[in-house]
Amino acid sequence: MSKLRTVALLIVIPLALLYASLFVGRFLVSPLDVARILAAQIFPLNADWSKSAEIIVLQIRLPRALMAMCIGAGLSISGAAYQGMFRNPLVSTDILGVTAASGFGAAVALLLSRNAFELQLIAFAFGLAGVALTYRLARIYRTTPVLMLVLSGVVVAAFFSACLSGAKYVADPESKLPAITYWLLGSLNAASVKGLAMVLLPIVAGCVGLLLVRWKLNVLTMGDEEARSLGVETERLKGIIIVCTTLITAAAVSVSGMVGWVGLVIPHVGRMLVGPDHRLLLPATLSIGASYLLFIDDIARTASAGEIPLGILTALIGAPFFAYLLRKTRGTWH
Amino acid sequence: MGCVGPLLGAFWLGTVAAAFAQSPSAPVPAPVTRQITDAAGRIVTIAATVNRVADPWHANNAMVLMLGGADKLVATTNQARDQPWLRRLYPRIEQVPAAFNAAGEVNIETLVGVHPDVILMAYGGTLPHWMDAVESYHIPVVMLPNESLEGLKTTVRMTGTVLGERESRVAAEYIRYLDENIRKVTQITSKLAQSERPKVLHTATPGILTIDGRRSVIDDWINVAGGVNAADVVGVGRPVTMEQVVVWNPDVIIVGTAPNQQNRQAIFDDPRWREIKAVRDGKVFANPSGAYLWDRHSAEAALQVLWAAKLLHPARFADLDVNRETKQFYARFFHHMLTDAELASIMNATAP
Repeated sequence: MSKLRTVALLIVIPLALLYASLFVGRFLVSPLDVARILAAQIFPLNADWSKSAEIIVLQIRLPRALMAMCIGAGLSISGAAYQGMFRNPLVSTDILGVTAASGFGAAVALLLSRNAFELQLIAFAFGLAGVALTYRLARIYRTTPVLMLVLSGVVVAAFFSACLSGAKYVADPESKLPAITYWLLGSLNAASVKGLAMVLLPIVAGCVGLLLVRWKLNVLTMGDEEARSLGVETERLKGIIIVCTTLITAAAVSVSGMVGWVGLVIPHVGRMLVGPDHRLLLPATLSIGASYLLFIDDIARTASAGEIPLGILTALIGAPFFAYLLRKTRGTWH
Repeated sequence: MGCVGPLLGAFWLGTVAAAFAQSPSAPVPAPVTRQITDAAGRIVTIAATVNRVADPWHANNAMVLMLGGADKLVATTNQARDQPWLRRLYPRIEQVPAAFNAAGEVNIETLVGVHPDVILMAYGGTLPHWMDAVESYHIPVVMLPNESLEGLKTTVRMTGTVLGERESRVAAEYIRYLDENIRKVTQITSKLAQSERPKVLHTATPGILTIDGRRSVIDDWINVAGGVNAADVVGVGRPVTMEQVVVWNPDVIIVGTAPNQQNRQAIFDDPRWREIKAVRDGKVFANPSGAYLWDRHSAEAALQVLWAAKLLHPARFADLDVNRETKQFYARFFHHMLTDAELASIMNATAP
């Protein structure tokens, strides 16, 4: 019964939040008008709402809300998969250097004054390249030991962080430098229908991939050798997980900048709710992550006339919340 | 005349010798230093004659050029050296060592190596962290105000004062010119009712969506030109949400970041901007850019008020010829006759 209720909540909450996000904001659109604007896309309705309201709902809030959900869900499920694969609860999605590499790519795009779409593309490509480099470094005799992966990730991340600092060092302080700085703090302000279409494919593909191998993840958490003795091709599995999480994280970072904390903490919240079994944990983190980032982004865009960077809020609100959960459960969920 | 010079010289030498003979501790007759109060309220002692200037403030390099003191520049920034129009107007800028990077960080060894008499630096409320290090080499730093049109005048005046008498005269001439332009414009715009003042949004980077708010040079020239800043946030380059821009619904949008023309087009191409009044009316404009960005702390602020006034109120400023004013300005203050192609490059903010 309680399990059923949990599952029902995990389905209902993100959808309710999504609807709420469409009428919450600085521009007043009533919940009813939101429903009618949405319905008008399918049924012929007499449009007596303002054109601006329609643009706000369909072009600005909806892509942004969906983007927040995709990214929140993607980062969380990737974090859960990595924590299982590396057998370490402190692991986050950027362990293989994807965030640093994407960040550098974005900074380069900003330095070259590329538009939002090109920026996304360049950041995505750099993210993929960064992880490819890490994977290549970690590869020994057709195996990729976890320790080698972690250390190679540290090396690649350090290298790209230095490149990023270099990019900031040469950036024009009146326009480019603040742009890079704000971008790195994370924001979904650039979300548009076009941008959404571009991130949707890699994130959905990555999530589906991870969901398909989620039962094998349970075996992998026992260690490479045990897993192999149980007939799991560990190298192939690790490869699949790395490809999926990299697709997700690179796509996420390329559009939102560096949104920390989500990939680290949401998997733990998921474990508190449904336990450590990856078959349940991965779908659960998907829902919690989507709801969490959507909620945070609603605050980011409504709390003030300005845009509050996401990276600040995810930690500022997430950290005390996590501290509370930690005290309450005394870390007994593992 | 032929014998008066040496005679006078001998007399002067004699006097000085006598003065020294009488009291060895007596002060030297001509002062070798002078004192100046800077924007941070510090009393700075600088050489009486300044021949070597280090300028870590990109925008101010063009001011120094305008005042006729550019040959005294011994250190500049990467960004000033990369400003296409500054290079066109003053090719030597490329040879001036960049002791400062874009973020205002200093290479102390390069700086000390060029022996500057003084450093001119923008003051935004804090002193640069390298201040103590630089002053320990006895290089004085003069801080200049940078956040309003009034501050711009003070900066020009102080820069002139530091550079010398000739430059001071040009500074006074420029300030008169700027005041005259502001007066010419406000004469008309001050009579405007609030409802006649278009809401102007000035974007810094449309992709990331940062905009320029109140308490800035930008806010000042918008007001002078008979508009109001659509953005009620404080400071420059502030990030805002797309939704907030729709709520502000500006009448006019001015794009202020290179490549201005592409960024302007990006706004027209983006469906999220479509219902905003300025976009519907086709009133999205790229800001001109010359020796420095016109819209920011620049010598061309004097032209910016004219350009913006004409842009916001074309009918009221029908007989104002911004192109002619621009040509005259560059001829008078930068001693450069603009060709029509060059004029177009400045108005379109492209490299010459």
